[in-house]
Amino acid sequence: MELQQKNPLKEFAPQLEQTSIQGYAWIIFLLAVIGLGVYAFLQQVFHGHEVTGMRDNVVWGVYIVNFIFFMGISYAGALISGTLHLFKTAWRKPVIRMAEFITVISLLIGPCFILLCIGRLDRLPYLVLFGRIQSPITWDVIAISTDIFGCFIFLYLAVLRDLATLRDYELLRLPNWRKKLYKTLALGYTGTPEQQQRLNRATDIMAAMVISIAIIVYSVLAWIFSVTLQPGWHSTIFGPYFVIAAVYSGSAVLILAMWVFRRVYHLEAYITKKHFVAVGVIMLVLAAFFGYFTFSDYLTKWYGSEKNDELLIQLLFKEFYWPFIISNYVGVLLPLLVVGIARFRTITNITLTAIVVVISLWLNRYIIVVPTLESPYLPIQDARPEWLNYSATWVEWSLTAAGVAVFCLLFTLASKFITIIPVSGIEGEEKKEDVLI
Amino acid sequence: MKRVFAFIAFFITMMSAALQPMNSFAENNSDSTNIPAESRLAITYLCGSDSVILTATLSIKKGDNTLALENAPIEFTASNGTICKLLGKAKTDQEGIAVVKVVSAGLPGDKDGMVAYVAKFAGTGKYPGAEASLNAKPAKIRLFFSIEDSLRILKVTATQKNEKGEEVAIPKETVLIYVPRLFSLLKIGEIALDETGTGTLEFPKEIVGDTLGNLVVVAKIEEHDKFGFVQGKNVINWGVHKQYYKAEVPSRELWTPIAPLWMIITLLVMLAGVWAHYMYAVYELVMIKRLSKKDKPLF
Repeated sequence: MELQQKNPLKEFAPQLEQTSIQGYAWIIFLLAVIGLGVYAFLQQVFHGHEVTGMRDNVVWGVYIVNFIFFMGISYAGALISGTLHLFKTAWRKPVIRMAEFITVISLLIGPCFILLCIGRLDRLPYLVLFGRIQSPITWDVIAISTDIFGCFIFLYLAVLRDLATLRDYELLRLPNWRKKLYKTLALGYTGTPEQQQRLNRATDIMAAMVISIAIIVYSVLAWIFSVTLQPGWHSTIFGPYFVIAAVYSGSAVLILAMWVFRRVYHLEAYITKKHFVAVGVIMLVLAAFFGYFTFSDYLTKWYGSEKNDELLIQLLFKEFYWPFIISNYVGVLLPLLVVGIARFRTITNITLTAIVVVISLWLNRYIIVVPTLESPYLPIQDARPEWLNYSATWVEWSLTAAGVAVFCLLFTLASKFITIIPVSGIEGEEKKEDVLI
Repeated sequence: MKRVFAFIAFFITMMSAALQPMNSFAENNSDSTNIPAESRLAITYLCGSDSVILTATLSIKKGDNTLALENAPIEFTASNGTICKLLGKAKTDQEGIAVVKVVSAGLPGDKDGMVAYVAKFAGTGKYPGAEASLNAKPAKIRLFFSIEDSLRILKVTATQKNEKGEEVAIPKETVLIYVPRLFSLLKIGEIALDETGTGTLEFPKEIVGDTLGNLVVVAKIEEHDKFGFVQGKNVINWGVHKQYYKAEVPSRELWTPIAPLWMIITLLVMLAGVWAHYMYAVYELVMIKRLSKKDKPLF
């Protein structure tokens, strides 16, 4: 009883028990956006890919950009949560659950965009029936499915203690089915020394696994591009470049999630400026790495003066000027200035910078995919002029918005199912000090 | 909070402005239903050795947009001013193209042998009719191959019919020589015909043919005022034999029977390593569940 009185779950219980009117309005808004996406999807099903901006020569567009983006933030979540866990970082508790949620939720959404990209979905089983190990697409399918399993296991291990806490907290006013669900999912965990030992061992192993899998899987995604001879894609550093870009975008998404949940659930006492600065510093370091890789990639292409690389760089600085500047200049320099200079290092500024980073990293993927496809090696014959350039349609934008809405909705629902800050490790004053640094 | 939303609104506006050039084409293509449609028909002609191919292309112009009209009936006729002969009817494909091929013998020509070809689209309730015509005189190009002093010689003759129906030479014209490649015709030379309508060309040795070395050689008179497009073709095994690459050992190509061994081993080792750890984690979860049955709860 005494433990229960000290249980921090008491503080977080309203988050699980109640949903405010604003909360319902938010969910309805997200469902409306998802509804628009469903309508757009039906248009695509009934009329084919004609309703998108994709054509014979530019066969990839916003869908593949979204796929890379969501997979990127997923791997970032895995890398950040896995690293924070393995290094037992003191300030990790309030942010690690969000990173874990980002990993799993975006991992569910990302591959859906690939399905939207496929013209003949009825042939999807052929990938398994007639798949070739030599194909990078096969590597990607194997890698992503392996990653999904790993991330789910890691998330489950990470929340197991909290599930047990929720099961045992009698004052929680929840429907019976949810209590039963907590009881089932908690696997009878009671925190005995042996159970703790086994759980810690499994979590440590899975943390190491999700880090290595995230690196491999995102490298495989990069190799889909770089093993081709296309200008702009055929690069030996694309693997690490993609990994860095992924973690960079993921750190920004984590900051946004921290800001939102801090506001919505009034977690000011738990998620403090120090946490924003800590994740901001991670973002700053990654910005520097990202800038370095970007510069290195374009410098070698420009100096090599291969005809098609030169044409591509000209295209980037003309038709894609603003996206190029925002993604490779603004997106790199802003975190360096805002987080690097102590004066500017406020929660609001770091959050605003994170917004810019997320948008600029999305644009980065756009200018990797589209300009290359708009400048093929072979001259295009007998194609209508309007097919030579890609322009996303309302269908693609609607499905993009729906993807973001699903991400937000699942995040919201997840935070209603289990506390957004792990409660099992912060009982008592000593642990709370850890959390607050 | 307000500051953040204001910033988001500002940034989205900026982004929209930045992405504007990428969307500009879609906006320029907006269709307007009030603008009347205009049918446009074009006809082209190709005279082969024994036949004539007529191609009509039908498009509809509406405002700034031009679209091909599919499934439209096109009627082809030939006349000499007094006699009009129906050559055939064809429907346009998705590119708006309709084609007929007719035997060149028996086409109604005037006293100079000129034939007037007409393609006609009668129109529908939605689209007005259109007509296109051209005049051309049938001609013939023949190709002959010979080897003289170890040199491969291509000889070309061009003929037309006189008023008596006899074949006579087409003198002093230029004939272009091509070989078909994957996407288009590759020009390999030009022949200037002499007074007898004959010309020769030393045939290049390095052109790749099929696996037997066979090459299709095409000779053309193009855009002639009187003859239009005339074409003759023949086949000769003077090409370099094409060697299809057949992978004997597993390689990265998708059509090889099996992937390279190193790739299979790498994949299996990685998958086995990863899934073994997964299984271990699941095993630990199972053990946690089992322990709960025999251990006393701590809280």
